[in-house]
Amino acid sequence: MTSKLKFLVAASTLPALIMNASSAYAAGTLVGTDITNNVSVAYKVGTVDQTAATDSNTFEVDRKILFTVAEDADVTTPVVPNQQNAWTTFVVTNTSNDTLDFSLSPTQLAGVTATHGGTDNFNVQNLQVFVDSNGNNVFDGADTATSINNLAPDASVRVFIVGDVLPTQINGDVAGVTLTATALNSDGSAITAATDATANTDGVETIFADTGRDGIESDQDDFTVSTASLTVSKLSRVVRDNLNGSGTSADPTNPKAVPGATVEYCIVVVNSGSQPATDVTVSDDLGLVPDVTFDSSFTPATNGTVVSGNTCTAGGGTGSFAANVVSGTLTDIAGGETRTLVFRVTID
Amino acid sequence: MKKIFVALLALVSTAPVFAAPLELASDVFVEREQKRPDGSVATILEEPKLVVPGDQLVFVVRYKNVGAQPASKFTVTNPIPRAVAFSGTADGTEIVSIDGGKNWGFLSQLKVGKADGTFRPALPGDVTHVKWNLNQTLAAGSAGKLVFRGVVR
Repeated sequence: MTSKLKFLVAASTLPALIMNASSAYAAGTLVGTDITNNVSVAYKVGTVDQTAATDSNTFEVDRKILFTVAEDADVTTPVVPNQQNAWTTFVVTNTSNDTLDFSLSPTQLAGVTATHGGTDNFNVQNLQVFVDSNGNNVFDGADTATSINNLAPDASVRVFIVGDVLPTQINGDVAGVTLTATALNSDGSAITAATDATANTDGVETIFADTGRDGIESDQDDFTVSTASLTVSKLSRVVRDNLNGSGTSADPTNPKAVPGATVEYCIVVVNSGSQPATDVTVSDDLGLVPDVTFDSSFTPATNGTVVSGNTCTAGGGTGSFAANVVSGTLTDIAGGETRTLVFRVTID
Repeated sequence: MKKIFVALLALVSTAPVFAAPLELASDVFVEREQKRPDGSVATILEEPKLVVPGDQLVFVVRYKNVGAQPASKFTVTNPIPRAVAFSGTADGTEIVSIDGGKNWGFLSQLKVGKADGTFRPALPGDVTHVKWNLNQTLAAGSAGKLVFRGVVR
């Protein structure tokens, strides 16, 4: 009997201490714990009390290997093209009744349905696995261990699968990954487990109680490319031709693109991706457009929208014209949103 | 498995008038399900060589009057090991304690105080001690056994 058990047995005669007696471990009674059952009988012979007879029986608790690998948060991990060290999180929880090590192995899915829907269609580069050694739930420079050392009963630790995303990946691409953890003895050696066919011994034995009873657990997660996806188009319409209608003051009916006419260009930027596009600048070199001259009476306008056809509204922002180049910086373009740069020229 | 017989040793020191020792033996078995060749499941009892949390245990207390005189008014008391959750007896005649042997009663009569000051009915897992008050005389040479079950926490 261990000294700890002696104390527990002794304590069991103290009434106040053991209300709601229950195990401190969800993992169960620790391996190697002696369970001692004491029984006593009091009796009389005739009218004389006799000294109580007692007996006890002790056995030792064996080792039960039980643990889980679970993806953290159960959502896909968004990544952007060309992202280095993209990481997704798993949690390894030891519910065995002994301290264990775990080896870790990251693998990639190959073209099958990923765990959060979508079909795996690319692999991340430089696939690695690291333990959240400093316990801050974030993959950082302190997390260099590639296997789990001494995970106590009921303890859990986060594990990161890390990879790089090629610049060529596009919005909606999915890379599925799998983390596989293998239970090891706390000195890092492989576990030799008893099987149902193995004869039991008096010593401490080990059995696998995990799924599949093999000491190996895994779970899947995925990276989904979520990015801005911009398309640019250029619209034009004749605003006036200085011949038709009321001349220069207002837009006339059906102006024609004749020399001297004013033409409005509308550069349309559409974000068909799922993430906002930031710092979008648009420039148009009029030196490349023959036979037109910038109309300085109309200040280039940014952040407008397309009304219909080739007609845009001039937005509230202002662009600029310098060295024969029209340019403007657009406000962040959210996924699905459209912004424009509008300016005018005259036909030479 | 270790067995410690201390009954005879104790008798020497107190020297009762009538030498009528009662012999007591405590055994523990693990209950397992074993598939028969025909696919049906048999429940077997094994020696506790492979025991892990969650295993079902069967405790068997055997008593025998090995003296020459009849023994009477005997009570059998068995504290439940801390690592075992009591789950019942075979005969249901026992009384139990949920406070370390201070108060006794049938399980259905006992209540556990909760943190908010209210009470809930005691559950088998709350039991700390089990006791049988056997109101019968055990003749010389006769024997019996008591059985209770538990689960390794």
